[in-house]
Amino acid sequence: MDLRELNPAVKGLAVILCVLLLSFALNPVTPLLTLAATVIVTWSFGRVSWGRWLLLFAPFLLAACSYMAATVLFPRESMAPSPVLLQLGGFEVTRAAAELAASLGLRVLAFSALSLLFILTTDPTRLMLSLMQQCRMPPKLAYGILAGYQFLPLMQEEFRILRTAQRVRDGGFRRSRNPLLQLHRTAIPLLAGAIRKAERVSAAMVSKGFTDSPYRTFYKRVRVTAADWLFLALMVGIVLLSYLAAWRLGYTRLYNGEL
Amino acid sequence: MKLSGWKLRDIVVMSSLSVVFAVVYLLFLQIGVVLTGFMGPMGYEVLFGIWFIVSIIAAYILRKPGAALLSEVVAGAVEVLIGNAVGPILILSAFVQGLGAEAVFAATRYRSYSVRTLMLAGIGSAVFSFVWGYFRSGFAALSWDLVLAMFVVRLVSGALLAGLLGRWIADSLARTGVLRSFPIGKERRARHDAPA
Repeated sequence: MDLRELNPAVKGLAVILCVLLLSFALNPVTPLLTLAATVIVTWSFGRVSWGRWLLLFAPFLLAACSYMAATVLFPRESMAPSPVLLQLGGFEVTRAAAELAASLGLRVLAFSALSLLFILTTDPTRLMLSLMQQCRMPPKLAYGILAGYQFLPLMQEEFRILRTAQRVRDGGFRRSRNPLLQLHRTAIPLLAGAIRKAERVSAAMVSKGFTDSPYRTFYKRVRVTAADWLFLALMVGIVLLSYLAAWRLGYTRLYNGEL
Repeated sequence: MKLSGWKLRDIVVMSSLSVVFAVVYLLFLQIGVVLTGFMGPMGYEVLFGIWFIVSIIAAYILRKPGAALLSEVVAGAVEVLIGNAVGPILILSAFVQGLGAEAVFAATRYRSYSVRTLMLAGIGSAVFSFVWGYFRSGFAALSWDLVLAMFVVRLVSGALLAGLLGRWIADSLARTGVLRSFPIGKERRARHDAPA
């Protein structure tokens, strides 16, 4: 199985299902096991570079840590009394609070790992084709989005030209302290350029016979194969097994938006 | 999904707006992560309004049913295409946020695009996204005072960073003349041509 060859729509569905299923967990074990399994799947079937993965994952490690700190230090009063694990200045860290914090932090990390699995192995154009062919996204919308998406590299170029032009003209307003003025000078011309380009591209598409007919044909077909369903079953199975393992270890608490 | 009343031109313009703001959103996501490192969960709340801005701008320019919702969803999808670690679930979050703004525009039957409506649309997104975030991010574990404070900050951020800033950007764009053939430009001309 190669994650890059899988159908993007089914792969996305698998990831979203896992995230939704995982949202009900309020114990540290379930997200921890899912996180570990997701990382193994990504690295064995994804041909993903370690460095890139870690680079994208690192910020979320930081966010998870701060989230855990907030949960431990500002817990809800309604929490059942439990043994104090350690004393930090004026703060007491109870076992219940620490477990809750770990489960929330690990949840964030499991979500990020699942998302990285999808993002690092999915080609944007194949995703749009798949959304049209499997999810019946209107071609007008799908190609409209792809056209907009193609502007992305052009915008970097345009930004460079804009800055150069402003520097050439100078006009005594080189750098402003006022961030709103600064924003105004770069964002508005960039957006105006993008809108002009969008109008030209759409006129070109229509004049070349682009229609919104649902009976269009595709040069490239993105199909759903048995491997896609196998992947979906594998991922959902991982989450369900993580729940089973947590239940066996005595964690039965579910997250049902407790107030 | 029905897109009657939407020309291809509207869709491409909307999606190019969404592409620009998807980049902005990702930038702010990084800023948010850093701020969260310093301020805890409050770090995101201060900035949260910025993530609704494309809804306000697209609805204000195009003035069509669905503009607020669709532009936000497309921005979310483009963020996923560019690649970020929040992942496909971000499209669902974007959907919820867009729905909040769309609900406000729908309540005026897509007739009012005043400052008040635009700020309310920002607040609508804030409310919807907070309810969604409550379940997804586990706010339930935080103390009530903190959650309430986060909610208020998000409402203010939605009204100011999305509603007011969004309107200001769209008005500045209209002044350049590129929006002449869109409803926002037509309205401006009607206002200028009217006898004083």
